[in-house]
Amino acid sequence: MTGPLRELWFLWKDRAARIWLAVAFLAASAAVILGLGEVSSQRATIERLIEADQIESAIALEEHPDWGGAAYYTFHLTYDPPSDFAFAALGQRDASPWKHRIRMLALEGQIYETDASNPEFALIGRFDFAFVIAMIAPLLIILLLHDLRAGERANGRYELLSATSSGGRQLWMSRAACRVCALAIALLVPLWVGGVLSGAALGTLLIASLFVLLYLVFWWAIAAWINTRSWTSTVNLTALIGAWLLIAVVVPSAIRSGVDAAVPVPDGGDIVLTQREAVNDAWDLPKEATMAPFFERHPEWADYAEIVRPFEWKWYYAFQQVGDQTAEPLSLAYREGRARRERLASALSWFSPPAKVERVFQSIARTDSAAAAAYETRVRDFHASLRAYYYPYLFQGSPFETEAIVERPEFAASSDS
Amino acid sequence: MTQVFSIAAAEWQLWLRSRVALFALLTVSVLLVVASILTATRMADERHQRLHQQEAAEETFLAQPARHPHRMVHYGHYVFRTPTPLAIIDPGVDAVTGQSIFLEGHRQNTAMFADTRASANLGGFRALSPAFVYQVFVPLLLIALGHGVFVREREARTLAPLLAQGVSGNTLYLGKMLSLLGLSAVLLSPLAVLAVIATAFGETAATGVALTGTYAVYLLIWSALVVLLSALTKSRGLALGLLVFVWLAWVLVIPRIAVASASASVSAPGKLETDFQMYADLRELGDGHNAADPAFAELRANLLAEYDVASVEDLPVNFRGIVAQTAEADLTAVLNDYAERRMTAEAEQARHASTFGWLSPSLAIASSSRSLAGVDLNTHHRFLREAEAVRFDFVQGLNEVHAEQLDYSDDINRSSDPEAERRTRVSPENWAVLDNFEFEPAPAKDRFAASSTATSMLMVWLIGLVAAGLFSTRVMKP
Repeated sequence: MTGPLRELWFLWKDRAARIWLAVAFLAASAAVILGLGEVSSQRATIERLIEADQIESAIALEEHPDWGGAAYYTFHLTYDPPSDFAFAALGQRDASPWKHRIRMLALEGQIYETDASNPEFALIGRFDFAFVIAMIAPLLIILLLHDLRAGERANGRYELLSATSSGGRQLWMSRAACRVCALAIALLVPLWVGGVLSGAALGTLLIASLFVLLYLVFWWAIAAWINTRSWTSTVNLTALIGAWLLIAVVVPSAIRSGVDAAVPVPDGGDIVLTQREAVNDAWDLPKEATMAPFFERHPEWADYAEIVRPFEWKWYYAFQQVGDQTAEPLSLAYREGRARRERLASALSWFSPPAKVERVFQSIARTDSAAAAAYETRVRDFHASLRAYYYPYLFQGSPFETEAIVERPEFAASSDS
Repeated sequence: MTQVFSIAAAEWQLWLRSRVALFALLTVSVLLVVASILTATRMADERHQRLHQQEAAEETFLAQPARHPHRMVHYGHYVFRTPTPLAIIDPGVDAVTGQSIFLEGHRQNTAMFADTRASANLGGFRALSPAFVYQVFVPLLLIALGHGVFVREREARTLAPLLAQGVSGNTLYLGKMLSLLGLSAVLLSPLAVLAVIATAFGETAATGVALTGTYAVYLLIWSALVVLLSALTKSRGLALGLLVFVWLAWVLVIPRIAVASASASVSAPGKLETDFQMYADLRELGDGHNAADPAFAELRANLLAEYDVASVEDLPVNFRGIVAQTAEADLTAVLNDYAERRMTAEAEQARHASTFGWLSPSLAIASSSRSLAGVDLNTHHRFLREAEAVRFDFVQGLNEVHAEQLDYSDDINRSSDPEAERRTRVSPENWAVLDNFEFEPAPAKDRFAASSTATSMLMVWLIGLVAAGLFSTRVMKP
């Protein structure tokens, strides 16, 4: 028998190894199945929402056939459909919204609402493929590799094996390689099946698999390094689990606390509060006090500045926008703070490969913080396009036209997903 | 008894001589102390800050100038949830739910600005808290130090002489258990200190003791498992491998599977989705801003008959205010109906997930700990309900002012007549309809009741494992 084949045979004869490989396969399969289920339920939810939203906006239009009323009473559905790789890393979609209804009022009062799922569940977390890879796979590598040498040493075969095989080092290498490969297969087969089922691109799957392999090799290196000490297998195992604790849990927690402390973001409540004060004060202020800051942004409507009655829609929407303008510095600081945290976390996550690999998966799956921020930006752009659509009608005082209202902008989910 | 104690003492001496054991002990202790200090200071800050924000929100509301009362309905108010004193041990759902709610007329908002959304994303686990360290990492230490208690002696062939000296298997078992029990007691001391600090912040002593006791039971479960597997296995490697496997299942896998199973079997559609159905229901009620809405025709007829007048102008009250009151009450009934349904579904999901505590004591302790600390889903729901009560009271208080202090003709002409508009502004004394809000932890007995199922799961686990341990060491094989 040649080396690798013989090692495969040994692996097969090792009952403990068979169990760990089975655990890996089951965990990865369960994660993929659960992930596929969650993604399809999110897709179904979006479909139901789109349908209900169309009925609801038709009713709003029917009941309020005027520009101001239509803008006030029509909510617009926005959503961020899961990508075809989202099943592998559900990521930030539990914490950040991926569905939202907004209308033409001040956006800062609406955009932070979250339609969150059960908070106790968000606390425990998801069992997705990224979690299995980042957290569980290292433990399985540790369990598979910790007693390669120590086990033989304990059985009194170590010296003999080292002396008789062509090169002692090579023997351990091929034995470990055999196990790592088997583990990689047990983990990646479910991913590939899931990827094919959900129609993920070949390139995506290849990149994801490459990262899984690199990550497994990283843990292999750590296990190999610890295995070279002439410790007993239990000391090896204890040391390796300690290393796991440090790299996978303590370091990410420390980075998170450090980054959050180093980059303060404004209290979210202050943004909404500022916006609310601005919008409410406007009712009591002279109309010019609202219109002046509005015309700074929209000089094109300055010719239509005259507000005759105590209430006019154009003034109403102008002060809604001024509310957003007042809260803008805070809101930008909040977004910028989150973006800085994200950049820092991205850079520092190199110190914790488990955090890195999970971030990479989320980034491939477009379920990371950047994707959440991109969705928020799309919602903001859409809101801006609603304003751009309504302002001419409101300011020029043109009569309501049913033909024109159907031209109203609709939210388009990003085309590439 | 002396035998039991000397067996335990021998084990402690062994750990003290082992560099690996000392290093592991040191690591976990540092982790515990750091997590305790960080969490305690953070939660104390949050508590202070939110009490302050609550006060500021109330002052701002009361300081509003004279205006139309309905403007104040839309101006709205904020309530903040102050963390309970025991949140310094277990912050619970706090970071996930957000801690403030904006209250305004005609709608129930969700809690905003969950920390997790703005926090740096490093995957994996949430922020370390003492509760999390006890639930997840202290068991690893018990495994690392304790897995060899029996099997080491078996491997070193020292078990047979011991048994030959007439030491019974059960005495050995109790001695080994005592050694891990002593270790657990030492590890629990930071938790006990935190519980004492919590009582200084107004927590009842009973809950602090109960929380510490529950964690003690949890660590005992692990000790009993470690000793049992150590007694049953033939090699240290096997004992350690099995224990790590159980840890993986209890701590990392089963809780997450429980979540997946509960979400799949109990459907709890999001608020956005149920809102669509709710809007359809609400349309039947009529718009409270529009007194001419046909939905209020009956109300108008009844009022006219009651005061025996011919038109709404002649009513001694402002019809618009009456409509606002009625509409808000009807609308709130619908809103509450939907909110209750959503909360029931969430509670049902949580209940489903918690039955997995029969498979994983780690899930049971997490649930028991949240309930005792007053940071569980129930507490969040209570916060939502209390916030709703505050909302409804101040909105209806303002609507009452609207009905009784405003003249109907001024009210309908205020959009076109600036003088009438001026007369519809009422003085700021009327803003005192707002009640003070302070979120108090639930009474201790409610929290005991909420944690009782999970606690009894833990007790069953403990009794079962100890019984199995005593049974399998009854006749000890060397």
